[in-house]
Amino acid sequence: MGETAAPTALDGLRVLDFCRLGFGSQATMILGCLGAEVIRIESTTRPDPIRVMPPFVPEPGETGQGFGGATLAQAQKQQSPNRGGIFYKYNTGGKRSIAVDARNPAGLDLLRRLVAVSDVVTESFAAGTLGRWGLDYDTLKELRPDVIYVSMCGYGHVGPDSHYVTMGPTAQALTGLTHLVGLPDREPAGWSFSYLDHVGGYLGAYGVLAALAHRRATGEGQHVDVSQLEPATALGGPLVLDRSVNGRSSRRAGFPPGNRRGGAPQGAYRALGDDRWVVISCSTEAHWLAFVAALGHPAWTDDARFATLAARIEHADELDRLVETWTETRDRYEVMETMQRVGVPAGAVQDAADRVERDPQLAARHHFTRLASTEVGELPLEGVPFELSVTPPDTGGAIHRGPPDLDEDRDYVLGEVLGLPDDEIAVLVGSGALQ
Amino acid sequence: MTGALDGVKVVELVDEPVEYCGRLLAGLGAEVVKIEPPEGAASRHAGPYVEGRDGDLDASLDFWHFNVGKRSVVVDDDETARRVCAAADVVIHTLGSSRAAARGLDHESLSAGSSGLVSCVITPFGLTGPWADYAADDLVLMALGGSMAVCGYGTDDPPLACWGDQAWLTAATYGAIAVLAALDFRARTGQGQLIDVSAHQASASMTEWHVMTYLCTGSPMARFRHPTVTARDGKQVAALIPDFLGPHVFTHFLAMLEADGVAGPLADPAFEDPRHRARGYGELMAATQRLADRHDGEELFRLGQEAGLPWGVIRTPDETLDDRHLRARGHFVEIDGVTHVGAPIVANGSPFRFDRPPPRLGEHTREVLDQLEQPT
Repeated sequence: MGETAAPTALDGLRVLDFCRLGFGSQATMILGCLGAEVIRIESTTRPDPIRVMPPFVPEPGETGQGFGGATLAQAQKQQSPNRGGIFYKYNTGGKRSIAVDARNPAGLDLLRRLVAVSDVVTESFAAGTLGRWGLDYDTLKELRPDVIYVSMCGYGHVGPDSHYVTMGPTAQALTGLTHLVGLPDREPAGWSFSYLDHVGGYLGAYGVLAALAHRRATGEGQHVDVSQLEPATALGGPLVLDRSVNGRSSRRAGFPPGNRRGGAPQGAYRALGDDRWVVISCSTEAHWLAFVAALGHPAWTDDARFATLAARIEHADELDRLVETWTETRDRYEVMETMQRVGVPAGAVQDAADRVERDPQLAARHHFTRLASTEVGELPLEGVPFELSVTPPDTGGAIHRGPPDLDEDRDYVLGEVLGLPDDEIAVLVGSGALQ
Repeated sequence: MTGALDGVKVVELVDEPVEYCGRLLAGLGAEVVKIEPPEGAASRHAGPYVEGRDGDLDASLDFWHFNVGKRSVVVDDDETARRVCAAADVVIHTLGSSRAAARGLDHESLSAGSSGLVSCVITPFGLTGPWADYAADDLVLMALGGSMAVCGYGTDDPPLACWGDQAWLTAATYGAIAVLAALDFRARTGQGQLIDVSAHQASASMTEWHVMTYLCTGSPMARFRHPTVTARDGKQVAALIPDFLGPHVFTHFLAMLEADGVAGPLADPAFEDPRHRARGYGELMAATQRLADRHDGEELFRLGQEAGLPWGVIRTPDETLDDRHLRARGHFVEIDGVTHVGAPIVANGSPFRFDRPPPRLGEHTREVLDQLEQPT
């Protein structure tokens, strides 16, 4: 941050955010990085599960516990709601936090007042939940006629199965994304994480911004219904057309093709070290010639089986074994650099430690921003993967802060956003509405 | 009803698989003009093709999917390309800094006559940094970004990347988000700007809690296959039992097992204790497999869902065409007799839709160039 604060793309936009878990919070994180003021409505009695799920951000000098190491019930008893590691992935962008009990009449009244001063309301509950609290879209519209209401839940709010629920792996299975990760003729390997929690969140942010453009042109708000399925179908779209046009399904022998993409050699090859790998991807004749030259023209590269791209693809298994005899004695980054020097696409298979500690490109691009949260202190956190020349995004949002401690911004929201006098705040506290 | 971006002019000049960015803007009503070289965009050379038309530049289904709703202009000189771009509100391209400058398509040159221009540049590594000029395809981006390290069958098999350019698609999606934000800023101030999207960073930020796991525990995540059960018909089902969401999860799960008579040892009240369940997770999976043995995949998935569990049968992308829920939501749309994937979001106030089929190569060259000649 320079001395003079740059303008932000979404300066002045206020988002009242009821999202929990990953999917919706990814969306509002993007808005926060772009300068929107995102106010999380939370509960101290039933905190967002990712606030209290492992891995936990350790106390200084301690080592935390990995995901899956404890149940929620244990976690809630043992842990502060400000140490759940996953929360710190999805709630940057300078989000604010206030605890409000929507089931308390004074709490509901407070939420209604917050809706009236917000541009956008976001939520990720099961369809109908907000309505049961008395905050359905028609009510939101009464409170704020041009409100943009974006709901984000598994199956969306409309349709015969809208009561179905998803997590990332569910949506990945149902939309074909799981099927697309695997070696030929083996059961799908799938994704070991929730790719679609991200994708659903991206389309949630896109939905907010599309509705904002429409509101700017017409003055009208709307309800945008985002599911976790529809954002994903386009990701395998050509295969949908293969069926609708050609009647051909991708449930067939040899598909998916592992790491092969129509080139050879192409794939992940073992490198020096324990479970270390490097990707080399030769998809053109020029790549092959450069690859051979970089290896110093070993004799096997003259083999007739590898004379043309078509021949190399036909003999890809034999070629892969020979390539691996070269890579497996070399450091993965050394292989990457050797290839990149001659223009062959190549990259080390990096894990999270590599991205944080080694990757010089992520470091140069300031991919991680060290931001402080009140209880856990500073962490290197991720925001959006782009720069804007006039309105630079800030992973810490307009207030350049890490994710909020639970209920951290009560005074700000009540005093500055709503302008409530101290005596009214005292009444609210006494009513039990703020928990 | 109007589209959210009605009247916004977008020009796309891309040779990486980021055409999804323009697709996302076209669906909102923007007029998207695609500049292609005489030999056609790279995606016209990628299959699958309409059966019997292999290699036909107007018959690539990859091109169709990512370019529906756009117009195609063949331009083979930079001067004309610059004129087409200069008339736009938004230009999307994939040229690194030196290539863009050499062709006069960099943001400074293009915005010389229009300070409101938004340039969205999507490159493998972004426009700056030590790897800015490195070569990458999706496989390389998925390796460097981190998904491959954790996806696969385990350490005996290689790390795997998902089919279908997922890192590029993520970068393209972020490109569309950034364009929308930049257009909102422009609507308030009149000022355009340069958007610099790094596909590497997009890929690096899609692995959920993995960086946090490393920071919290000191160890990165291992590579593993997401567990499934095998249904009676051989289909795999992701049968999640997310105990962490609360005690109702196990209650519903147990009731479903008991209804089918396969609860077995889970009927022991000891399993009411979440700590016991955490220790005996193998028993939960074994009971799920007993249930799976009795049902086909589609049926098992719906059985779980009706019990409130986030279960999903593993389908292929094309099998989504048969999904009753997606069909009821109008997700698939017919354009010139072809069924396409439609809106990624349901926005009834400004519906996402495509006004035209995928363009033939150069179909709109004359129309677009003639428009440039007309006084505005």
